[in-house]
Amino acid sequence: MARRAAALALVTALGCTQGAADEPTPTPTPTPSQDAGGAVTADVPVLRPRTVQEIPGHESIAQDTAPKEAPRLVPVEALMRSYMTLFGGLSPLQLQTRLRGSGGNLFDTWNDYLSALGVPDYAADIPRNEQTNALMLAAFERIGVALCDRAVESDLAAMPPTQKVVFRFDLPANRAVTDAEFATRFDVLHRLFFGYPASLAPPERLPRFRQLLRDAAARRATQPANAPGFNATRASWAVVCYAFVRHPEFHLY
Amino acid sequence: MRYRYAAGVLALMMSAGVAPQVADAVPTREAYRFFRSLSIDLQGRMPTPEEVAAFERPDFNLDAWIDQRLTGPRYAERLRRIYMDRMRLEVGSNFGFVSNPIVLRRVRVRDPNNNLVDVYYRRSQRRNRAETDADFCLTQAESGIRVANNGTIDGTATPVAADVWGARTVALRPWWLYRDYRNTNPSQRVAPNANSDAVEFEPVAALMNEPDGRTPTVSVRVCREEAQTAPTGRVYLSGRTTNPPRGTPLPGNRFNNPPLDSAYARAHPTDMVSCTAGTGVSMSDQCGCGPGLERCMPGASLGNDPPAFVLPNNMPLGPDVPLDNVAQAQSEWARFWWSQEAVRFLDDLFGNDRDVREVLTGRQTMVNGPLSQFYRTMAGSTCCGNGTNFDYVEPVSLFEPAQVPADLVPQDTNTWRRVADRGPNAAGVLTMPIFLAKYGTRRARAHIVYQAFLCREFVAENVELTPSEEPNLMVRSGCATCHTTLEPLSSYFTRVTESGWTFLPAQRFPAENTACARRGTSISGICGSFYDPQFANSTRGLLRGAYGSVANADAGPAGLARAVTAMPEFSQCVASNFAESFLGRALGPEDSALVTDLTTALRNGNYRSRALVRALLRADAYRNANNLGSDTWRQGAMP
Repeated sequence: MARRAAALALVTALGCTQGAADEPTPTPTPTPSQDAGGAVTADVPVLRPRTVQEIPGHESIAQDTAPKEAPRLVPVEALMRSYMTLFGGLSPLQLQTRLRGSGGNLFDTWNDYLSALGVPDYAADIPRNEQTNALMLAAFERIGVALCDRAVESDLAAMPPTQKVVFRFDLPANRAVTDAEFATRFDVLHRLFFGYPASLAPPERLPRFRQLLRDAAARRATQPANAPGFNATRASWAVVCYAFVRHPEFHLY
Repeated sequence: MRYRYAAGVLALMMSAGVAPQVADAVPTREAYRFFRSLSIDLQGRMPTPEEVAAFERPDFNLDAWIDQRLTGPRYAERLRRIYMDRMRLEVGSNFGFVSNPIVLRRVRVRDPNNNLVDVYYRRSQRRNRAETDADFCLTQAESGIRVANNGTIDGTATPVAADVWGARTVALRPWWLYRDYRNTNPSQRVAPNANSDAVEFEPVAALMNEPDGRTPTVSVRVCREEAQTAPTGRVYLSGRTTNPPRGTPLPGNRFNNPPLDSAYARAHPTDMVSCTAGTGVSMSDQCGCGPGLERCMPGASLGNDPPAFVLPNNMPLGPDVPLDNVAQAQSEWARFWWSQEAVRFLDDLFGNDRDVREVLTGRQTMVNGPLSQFYRTMAGSTCCGNGTNFDYVEPVSLFEPAQVPADLVPQDTNTWRRVADRGPNAAGVLTMPIFLAKYGTRRARAHIVYQAFLCREFVAENVELTPSEEPNLMVRSGCATCHTTLEPLSSYFTRVTESGWTFLPAQRFPAENTACARRGTSISGICGSFYDPQFANSTRGLLRGAYGSVANADAGPAGLARAVTAMPEFSQCVASNFAESFLGRALGPEDSALVTDLTTALRNGNYRSRALVRALLRADAYRNANNLGSDTWRQGAMP
């Protein structure tokens, strides 16, 4: 509504600066009708939005009805609840503690990210941010990466798959997964993050993620075995997880 | 499209406990994504693998699944966000509800045993000693320190004599330390749950412990007048009618002159006044803070807005799962719960599928312990100021205190009770403190109603603004286009004071008042606070804000609610607001058919939100709301 009002104000302003006699008359603010006592009553004429074809001279112009707005972003509240659910049903403060981990370098506090995530601040009259921006994406990434790292630490340890929250599968011991083994495990993650089987995804997605796993493992293999951080297997699955939480399909709906 | 699981995938799913019952009954990608959208909008999160597995079963009933979600708390939260996003019903510290009649500040003195003790007092407390009237109850001669009402202290604390200590102060067990504070001997001491993240009743540590920071406070020391519990007090006449000449030593070496007797006090020297009204506190030395000091808010310092309670700064997912919990100034306590009242009111409305028009017209509300305390004992503290010139000393409330649940105590932060009827002046969110604080002026209040509930905006016409002394904006060139509409709408709020919630009843404040008629070029000074000299004539004065419409002024916010919800634009606006929120984009002309359909669904569904949401979720526009680019749409692809 505000955007439409702004557009109308712009039209009005343009009409003012151009001052052409044949410019359309600016539309004044619609006035609810009033009775004799001045009370606003219900017999207000309905204002109907006009289509493009109703504007003189536009009757035969083809109309592009494709959506012009940006893709629909998952509301930040739903995103936070999703993080809480997907990563083990924790409360935000528990999740914050987990995200900070022992080092505290990956994540600070939720409050540091709220503005970037687009959370509205009603008290300060800052509206919900429904469009992505660089800061928002960086914040999404930071949280997602931290969550993935914590999930790798817990899920890829030896425990029954039913107790795992993200990597709900086992990995073969002492060797890399085969293509077929990767595909089945990729499907588990795909259903977790995107809500549908990997087989329904665009066909290039599986090989891309497969290659990502290989590349991440190879890069880690070039470092000393005692280098800090994850080993090659864990590092490569963490990177796959990063790719899911960074993917546009995760943040849009 | 049919899909059969690869054997490996199925085995993994079975090991994780999320396997479908029928392996080849998997829906299309579009159906999965539709289900994901429904989960995000109705459950407030993405679906879990278990829910996706359930969705894949051939006997999955999507309609039943949707209907089940339309009764849940996340659904109510989803709809509430639509209106909270539009009205933004929170206020920050720029709205400092620091009402002197209710704020207890404290001064650190030395008791007769030379121990440091905090003594609570309120700045406006009337006392029958000129040395301490409306000031701290111990003079500099008695305590060694001189306390200014701006929070500064002179001198060094010295032990107070035992007889003075006993005569001027009292020890008691207050409401912020004891749940059973109304009992003769309270014993149920407050014990915040340190293991809980949720918002709960938690005074700051300084209120819970003695000055040593370790010893739990068992009772507090308070000035004797503040400890009084009577509901009414007799008007106090000090005999002071004028201030002494400048330079005259002030009694007790106090910083400021003691208060003078008001005109009302002089005219009503034997009257009894309510101790829950601000005028009662300012006119009677018999009005205290009530049983357990329940009419007053504690503060852990002498500052203007002292720290009092632990509350979150941010909780986008609600008070059960806040993102932090920190010590806050006492005024935040009221602001926080006012906002939560609106949240709970909207949740109740949408969660129980009440008539959406009740957002504006409903006389019901939701209260918990802190809100019950506020409406019962503190809301009247802002009344009645200069209204005493019109003999207005007993507040007529937007929320009648008698309707407040009597059994709720301030510690009941998580117990919410529905109040069916706040009283005849109540009107949905329009008469809630959070709305009236957020939108402080009559015009601001009218404007947000115009925006949020009629989906309209004021747009200035294209005319040259010329200098004018015309006070009537409905006729002044360049202003009239908007104000012809805005002023009559604003008039509905004539009887609610600006930046507050004090109601101005017609009995005391007739919209047209002959006593406030113009005399020469102005009106009487006592009229000026409430009557507008610009619109007074020789026969009557006009209540401020009523010039847009006297009828609307007398109809009040409830009249505005009735008028707005009767307009056809109201239901169209509800439909548009819901559609914009669920589609995640502004609507355009191409959406007019959708809005018409949704409006019809709302009206045919007796203005129940579920009927509207069901229609919206089944609309192609929602199913096709996509995360693909416009190019894909132009090429005819489905998302």
